[in-house]
Amino acid sequence: TTGNKIFHFGACRVSMSMAEIRAGFTAIKANIQARDPIRTLSILSYPHSLHKVKSSDRCCITHHLLNFYVGKVFKHCKTEDLYVNRKISSIANSFLSMKRKLGQCHEQNRCRCGQESTEKLKQILANYEGLNVTSAAMKSLGELDILLDWME
Amino acid sequence: EDASLPAPQNISILSTNMKHFLTWTPVMVQGETVRYSVEFQGEYERVYGGESWIPISECSPIAATVCNITEDISATVAYRLRVRAQLGARTSPWATLKGFFNRITTSLTPPVMKVIADGYHLLVELEDMGPAFQFRVLYWKKGQERRVQQKVLKEVSSVLHLDTMEAGADYCVKAQTYVEAINRSSSFSQTQCVRAQGGTPMWL
Repeated sequence: TTGNKIFHFGACRVSMSMAEIRAGFTAIKANIQARDPIRTLSILSYPHSLHKVKSSDRCCITHHLLNFYVGKVFKHCKTEDLYVNRKISSIANSFLSMKRKLGQCHEQNRCRCGQESTEKLKQILANYEGLNVTSAAMKSLGELDILLDWME
Repeated sequence: EDASLPAPQNISILSTNMKHFLTWTPVMVQGETVRYSVEFQGEYERVYGGESWIPISECSPIAATVCNITEDISATVAYRLRVRAQLGARTSPWATLKGFFNRITTSLTPPVMKVIADGYHLLVELEDMGPAFQFRVLYWKKGQERRVQQKVLKEVSSVLHLDTMEAGADYCVKAQTYVEAINRSSSFSQTQCVRAQGGTPMWL
């Protein structure tokens, strides 16, 4: 099926079409990652992998990472390749849809941010701001499968 | 930009079973083939992307007056669509679809279904409608309408075994589709009934 799943992030239940996002990303992954020359650095996984995050912090991290991608990353990923831009639009609009669903739960205070998630988010932003904006955005987009794997 | 060409008219969406098409009425220029270009704008582009528009290359340009936009309408958000005519260097103003299109409004038709009695086995064949579709199949023994059973198919395999039937009994089946991405179901198909083999021959 579209792989539309019900995700449990703490107390939040959100249905998301992961397969459509993955299909969009897989179609452009090689192109995007080829634009990221600095392979030794990571935005999402430095210094610690997302998988180290406690499950109670999953909702907060997911909520803020969706905001991060929608608010910061996608807008700096425009390329000269129309096909790539269409797929980025597809992913961005799916993230926007997810962000809204999870945002509703966040507003109902069922998506708390603990100390650990706050630290992790700070680190991700520091990693991001340590690069020039286009490189940081392309690297973050190229790491989307890390995020999707972790979310699933 | 010489915009002397009239803009296309009657822009509309035809959306059935998660397949979405933009259509418009042609711009007529005597003895000439007018071509068209189509662009879309998702909610992300409107809110975060500076209201940018994205061309659909398969429809930029085309001579037909219909464009399959399914691949680009890939999130459950509000999209805007526009089309313009072009003839050589001449282009028309953009004509924009009135309002927005969200795939949640697609019309869902009941699935095409074939029920088979294979000896004592009750089988059903369902049309493959694409990855977005799941199926809910209801079946019951005729006369026992209160004891309806259900099977949910997340993926279409060629034939689904529903039940082993009692000899000579009649069984009825109906099905509907479900699209998780928009959380909607179609109406049910027509009920189809079949009879299991065996039972007391009529002449006894």
